Amino acid sequence: MNSSDHANPLKISSDRLILSARANLTQKIMAWVGQAFLFFVASVAATAVLFIIFYIARDAIPFFRLRGFQEFFGSTRWYPSGSPPVFGALAIIFGSGLVTVGAIVVTAPLGLSAAMCLSDILPFSVRQAIKPIVEILAAIPSVAYGFFALVVLAPLLQEDGGPILAVTWYIVALPSLTIGIIMASDLLTFRITTEKKRSMARRLLALGLFAIALPLVVFTGQILFQLKITTGTNALNVSFILGIMALPTVVSVSEDALQAVGRELREGSYALGATRAETIIQTVMPAASSGILAALLLGVMRALGETMVVWMASGNAAQIPTPWFNYLEPIRTLTATIAGDMGEADHVTGSARYHVLFAMGFLLLLLCFVCNMLSEWVVSRQQKKLRGEV
Amino acid sequence: MRISTRKLLDRSFSSVGVISIALMGLILLVILVPIFRKGIGALVFEATVEHRRLILDNFDHGDDLELAAEIKSAREARQPVYEMVQAFESRQQAKIDSLRPDLETLAERDDSMGRLVARRLKRLGPDEDFLEQVETIQQLVPRLREYGDGDDAPKEIAAISSGITRITSQTLAFAELKEVLYDLLGPAPGEPMPQLTRKQYGQTRWEKARETIDHLFFIERWDYSGPGMGTLVREPRVEQFRETEIEPLFAYVEGHAEAMLQPRWTLYWGFLTDKPLDSHIFGGIYPELIGTIYLTLGAILFAVPIGIIAAIYFTEYAKAGRLISFLRACVSTLAGVPSIVFGMFGLAFFLNVWQLPKGVLAGSLTLALLILPVIIRASEEAIRSVPHTYREAALSLGAGRWRTIVTVILPAALPGILTGIVISMGRAAGETAPIIFTAAASVAAPLSLNPLQAWDQPTAALSWNIYNLCTEHEAADEIRHVQFGMVAVLITVVLALNLFAIILRARIAKKLKG
Repeated sequence: MNSSDHANPLKISSDRLILSARANLTQKIMAWVGQAFLFFVASVAATAVLFIIFYIARDAIPFFRLRGFQEFFGSTRWYPSGSPPVFGALAIIFGSGLVTVGAIVVTAPLGLSAAMCLSDILPFSVRQAIKPIVEILAAIPSVAYGFFALVVLAPLLQEDGGPILAVTWYIVALPSLTIGIIMASDLLTFRITTEKKRSMARRLLALGLFAIALPLVVFTGQILFQLKITTGTNALNVSFILGIMALPTVVSVSEDALQAVGRELREGSYALGATRAETIIQTVMPAASSGILAALLLGVMRALGETMVVWMASGNAAQIPTPWFNYLEPIRTLTATIAGDMGEADHVTGSARYHVLFAMGFLLLLLCFVCNMLSEWVVSRQQKKLRGEV
Repeated sequence: MRISTRKLLDRSFSSVGVISIALMGLILLVILVPIFRKGIGALVFEATVEHRRLILDNFDHGDDLELAAEIKSAREARQPVYEMVQAFESRQQAKIDSLRPDLETLAERDDSMGRLVARRLKRLGPDEDFLEQVETIQQLVPRLREYGDGDDAPKEIAAISSGITRITSQTLAFAELKEVLYDLLGPAPGEPMPQLTRKQYGQTRWEKARETIDHLFFIERWDYSGPGMGTLVREPRVEQFRETEIEPLFAYVEGHAEAMLQPRWTLYWGFLTDKPLDSHIFGGIYPELIGTIYLTLGAILFAVPIGIIAAIYFTEYAKAGRLISFLRACVSTLAGVPSIVFGMFGLAFFLNVWQLPKGVLAGSLTLALLILPVIIRASEEAIRSVPHTYREAALSLGAGRWRTIVTVILPAALPGILTGIVISMGRAAGETAPIIFTAAASVAAPLSLNPLQAWDQPTAALSWNIYNLCTEHEAADEIRHVQFGMVAVLITVVLALNLFAIILRARIAKKLKG
């Protein structure tokens, strides 16, 4: 560059803006190479999951080749270090399923009502203030939840489990019973036309229903109250904690789904005279149902794949509880078995004991994959539906 | 339905929603409050003189002159206790010695009993350990009884064995008391120093010391005679020592406990910077902390460049097509892989195929895979949220595509990308399952600060050692304060990172609003 260019930068001859043919070619090649590099890195990042599937499957297949499917899926006897060893994983798979169901039972009502409240009831500023609660719940490391379950919750359940359950039961059952009876008595007396008679019938019916249901509630509460919990590290404890861990996912995904429904449907519903509750339950929820389903599936995934909490606080007993729905007994899950047994499995010689854990990992991977795909499919279907393509 | 019923339903519906949100906040409090309340106890507590002695001996913190004075006054306060113990011991010793002539006559007999007693006699005497002598003569009792049933047994046998029993029953109680005293005060002056660190010191924490003093005063046992689960019975220990030299000990300890242990409120920063001693019973969590920092930074080091490049490709270059939607589906599947499966993959691939040693590098790579989808998504979102006008302005100035990305889009998207990185750091710091097989060691020397020396070392990490200490530790109940402290530190780290991210995001939101 000479000094005259500095003096007058605007005075550039036009040919200097045009690259020579060679420079043009280098630049094009550079651009192509750069893009190829970007593509390479991106595809490595994306296909990492294929590597994971491949390497887990590679170590899982020898197990099935060696011992078949019958034992793994059909037997509840898990004696990996016995002689001869028995690798019946049914009880363990059942344990995983049990706590996952428990977690959903905890998280679904809580998460969905919280999501509805966030999206439709609370004003925007309050909502912004509440978001961090959900974020902190999501950020707490799983080992901290596990520690809480083991050190704080388990002794509490063991000492005062019955009273705690009973109080929870009363808190949940009494209000819903009252509301349910009021609703039922109203609905059942709808046919009676005379206003006076109807009101009379409604009251009598409500009283009658109350007289029938209240003893039942109290009876159940008494049974719960007297319940002796032999060990605090059981399926109930784990289900509760897993439910809390799944909450942030369920709340934020289902809130997004509820928000995506849009104002038009809501306003239409209000215009027809529906209350807010009726609008949400009868209009918004059905429209957002697939998003809510996706949220629950993601919650299932989170509960199914969680390791530390179940390893620390589930009791790790490879058994199907008696009766099978008894949440007060210790259980064992797939993830905990993998984490706990890998240290003893001899992976240098590649024994069946090592491969069976990969078989479990593969099963887990498969289940999560199915959940993930299902939730994605469900969400994309909802989006199409909202756009009016289906 | 009637209007009023509908209104009622509407109200209760709203309140269910509000209650469930309140419940969420309550659950958060219920989890965090005890963890932080007890976790702080690892850092701030009433430390006894034993704690200061331990810290000075092992880590060289503290003022040794001041401590020497403190130890001296503590020792003076303890002196009467040891004197009482001594007096009791010497009286019991005298009782043993008074048995000696009888035993000696017995030893002269020319049969198996005589020979046994002769052998035992050699182990008696003022030079031997008192409690061992008691044990020695105690073992004689059943044999003596058996022998006493014989025809030609001397008459005094019964007297000897009942004399022994009298001595031993009181001595057993005394041995138990001495053990509790040892727990409280550590080795008596002049006693040989044991090997284990936990045996070299008395109670270092005042609240534990008070528990031990309670054990000293009361014998606890479970009474199962009644119906049901059994009841806890507390008997004052002093009853066992009525009218002996030990009797005034209890009143003395009650009055002088503080002088004997000199509790003082202490802020123990060493919890974060000291090595653990004697498998975490004393000392700090430095190896765990440094291990977690290494693993987190390592994971970020690998995941961030790859994640950002992938995000750039997906947002700026990729054209919609089957391949790209497949790759996107892969990323979202990666986000759904359970964390333990990452750990298995790390074991099967990094350790068994790549032959990496179990250590920081393998753990970091595994964690990097775990946080990769988070970083990709956050970066994509950040890049997308850069206004189109920026891009167009840069292009119109003649910048190429790549130059636009590097000089305009990335700087504008940086805060958003940073938010994603910070959140995924929190995730990586807290994850346990991926590092169990690839990096974690329960007991490990703290990593060197030089990464070239540290990369192949297995390491302790906060998350793993929380698990390890509260499930596999031999004295898990004794070191709850360490466990709570660790959990509190881990949660603090993670929450601080998240808070930083929240603030960062709030600032971006403000900036975007203008």
